[in-house]
Amino acid sequence: MLPQAIVNGLLFGSVYATIGIGFSLVWGVMNIINVAHGSFIMIGAYLSYTLFALYGLDPFLSIPPVMAVLFLLAYAIQKYVLNRVVRGSVFITLTFTFGLQILIANLCLLLWSADSRSIKLPYSSAGWQIGGLVIPLVRLGIFGVALLLTGLFYLFMRRTRTGVAINATALNFEGAKTVGIDVYNIYAITFGVSAALAGAAGCLISPIMSINPFGGGPLVAKAFVIAILGGLGSTVGALVGGLALGLVETVGTVFISSSFQELLGFTVLVLVLVFRPQGLMGKRFYE
Amino acid sequence: MNAVLLSGQGVSRSFGALKAVWNVDFEVRAGEIFGIIGPNGAGKTTLLSLVNGTLPLTRGQIRFKDRVISGLRPYRIAELGISRTFQVVKPFPGMTLLENVSIGALFGKDKIRDAREARERTRSILQTVNLSGREDVAVENLNISERKRLELARALAMDPELLLLDEVMAGLNSAEIDWIMDLIRRLNEREGRTIVVIEHVMKAIMGVSHRIMVLHHGEKIAEGSPAEVSREEKVISAYLGERYARRRGAAGKGEQGGGNGGGEHAPG
Amino acid sequence: MIPQAGGGRWKAAGALLLAVLALLLAAAPFLLTGFWVRLLTYIFMFSVLSSALNIIAGFTGYAAFGNMVFFGLGAYTTAVLMSKARLGFVPAFLGSALVAGITAVLLGLLLLRLKGHYFALGTLGAAEAVKYLIENLTGLTGGGQGLTVPPLRGRPATVNTFFYFLMLLLLVVILLVVWRLSRNRLGYALKAIRANEEAAGVMGIDTTRYKITAWVLSALFTGVTGSIYAYWFTYIDAPTVFDVMWVVKMFVIILIGGAGTVFGPVIGAFILETISELVWSRFLNLHLGILGLIIILVVLFMPRGIISLVTQGKSLLSLAHRRRPPGRQPQGRPRGEDGQ
Repeated sequence: MLPQAIVNGLLFGSVYATIGIGFSLVWGVMNIINVAHGSFIMIGAYLSYTLFALYGLDPFLSIPPVMAVLFLLAYAIQKYVLNRVVRGSVFITLTFTFGLQILIANLCLLLWSADSRSIKLPYSSAGWQIGGLVIPLVRLGIFGVALLLTGLFYLFMRRTRTGVAINATALNFEGAKTVGIDVYNIYAITFGVSAALAGAAGCLISPIMSINPFGGGPLVAKAFVIAILGGLGSTVGALVGGLALGLVETVGTVFISSSFQELLGFTVLVLVLVFRPQGLMGKRFYE
Repeated sequence: MNAVLLSGQGVSRSFGALKAVWNVDFEVRAGEIFGIIGPNGAGKTTLLSLVNGTLPLTRGQIRFKDRVISGLRPYRIAELGISRTFQVVKPFPGMTLLENVSIGALFGKDKIRDAREARERTRSILQTVNLSGREDVAVENLNISERKRLELARALAMDPELLLLDEVMAGLNSAEIDWIMDLIRRLNEREGRTIVVIEHVMKAIMGVSHRIMVLHHGEKIAEGSPAEVSREEKVISAYLGERYARRRGAAGKGEQGGGNGGGEHAPG
Repeated sequence: MIPQAGGGRWKAAGALLLAVLALLLAAAPFLLTGFWVRLLTYIFMFSVLSSALNIIAGFTGYAAFGNMVFFGLGAYTTAVLMSKARLGFVPAFLGSALVAGITAVLLGLLLLRLKGHYFALGTLGAAEAVKYLIENLTGLTGGGQGLTVPPLRGRPATVNTFFYFLMLLLLVVILLVVWRLSRNRLGYALKAIRANEEAAGVMGIDTTRYKITAWVLSALFTGVTGSIYAYWFTYIDAPTVFDVMWVVKMFVIILIGGAGTVFGPVIGAFILETISELVWSRFLNLHLGILGLIIILVVLFMPRGIISLVTQGKSLLSLAHRRRPPGRQPQGRPRGEDGQ
């Protein structure tokens, strides 16, 4: 039981990492807690489902187009709307993203109805058997792709000019402006990248989870936990946080009831916030 | 000899490996104007923050009227009669000038409860700092000189026994500086307030202070009257470099003032 | 304490308006159908809740996204005391107030040291933790089944009228409290804390004490509203009384009306609930979407609320320190001639 739970936890934790990285990025760079992140994931999942249903496109292959669509969508939202309130108080920005979340959820409801959707892949039952452990191929693929995305993101942030500009803007808004960085454009790019990652995560979960318009909420809660545990601004932190969360969830159900788990989870979260807000790995980004 | 009002023993504050203030002993006597100078980064503002409780000490102790105040929260220290201005002014945005200053009257040492009394004290202070006509102006609309005087007014509204001034003259022109120097003297001589001043404007601080302490890299390197301090080789060296100090010493010059024909401001 | 701008002519007109309003409100339950009476009661309830949130969020600047925790605890305290301990409504009501108040002190000591997002989400986490705790104490709270409360006996019209006036009374009380708050020392301390907490401390304000006081005040009103809710609806369950969407609504209400103002939350509640009712009855499918759109539009175009758009009165603290993208006007709204 336990070893299988560990394997499952790690495999699924990689998706959490992908979700957490995008969420943590927006929080760290723009000090916005993007509650709509969950709905971006859902859009990705729905798009992946639609491409599969209409053209038989494998969800793994729909990742690039979905990421592109979400990048453009989020870039536009940030550039023309969110940039006006981005420097506002938490009251304003949090309420705003809540509004965005329910707006998008409603749109998904209209376009795809409230019925749960899911993708049945032809190879979904194939898997490896090692010892007593079962490793489904799909989950392994998800794991690999998620790690790949994390790695690409890490390189993007460290090695490309845009990535460096994002970092600069996050660390010193005024300073970045002074050296000629178009900070509001950077914000738009950041939001776009975050949404693209969310969209990719949506594609990744589409074959293994049922999709419904309100699935975004619980996912954002998890993203929040990962961001806190891993520390804002730390890709490695988000990765570790995601895997850890995946592990805790699967291993936890072996030992404790799910409702009690939630209680424990939130209590730990509050304690971390109070006593170690920089997370287990990160440095304090914003107050 | 006047009683000691404020004193520090072994006062230290580190940020990780950085020693912002290290092992500073000092005494401020009641009724005097005590200046603190030193190159940028010397730890002057940090020292003030340690006195008024904004920052906790890493080591050492600070006493006010023989009572240990290090470790108390800022509001407690304010209630005891110590108030302070900030180098980067910290007004209350969204409130008018009058409201900003009244906070000091309402919550400072005297905790005035009567509205009329608070208003009167506020008005009289605004007169002292020459801001009487600007009562209802939102603080965002004040210019730099007015903002500096607002900082001062807020601190005065608390009727402090000990007033800590952190670079009140930065950004002001020559006439405004003279005016503030005059105000500081009046507050000290006519109202009997003990004042600790941090300044970079040399002519100002040398002109008003009774005694001066010099900080460099967080440590005290000199203390004494303005004349004594400005002749100390260590001080000259800290501001202008060792070679300059040695050359001056060799040439046997005995000038007053920390600068040397290069204007009133100390470099750095 | 400090003289307010605005003169006697406003006062006379205002008093007349209030008198007419009071008359209308008093007569309403006898003139309208049960549906409208209940709707108005519901609007009063959200007005109280939003006003209470306004104390800690609008006045003090601490966006307590978990404020429903007090509502839920208030509701459950009353429900448990009335159904299990067979107590009357009045002792249950007081019990709810006590529980809410004590919780606010405990949570305040733990969480009020946090700022901004950390505080907002810390309170949310705490609220969720309490929700799950309550759901797990099945023996006491009925767990997922919820709790039923012994109802008030009487004809429907009488019951409706009772709760209408009870909620209206609570609203009047909280408005009086908040009105005093906008003028007294506590209010000034909170305003200062919100404007610049560090400076407030340096000027002699015991920020911890004042923040906790504000939150306790907010919690008391929120908790007793929960108590009334339990008695009124006669059935409660955890997901409803700890629903975070309620808090989001409350924030939107405060935004629409004007944060840190006295009547803002009431105006906002009336506007939002009216729109909600209209939309709900016609476009069920679009309900959430329209709410979302309203939220977005309000945040973009009216972050200081209606009150600041309409009156000349002193606009209290500026909520959104907005920076526009380069090439546009510099930050903030243009100031009027009187410099407000």
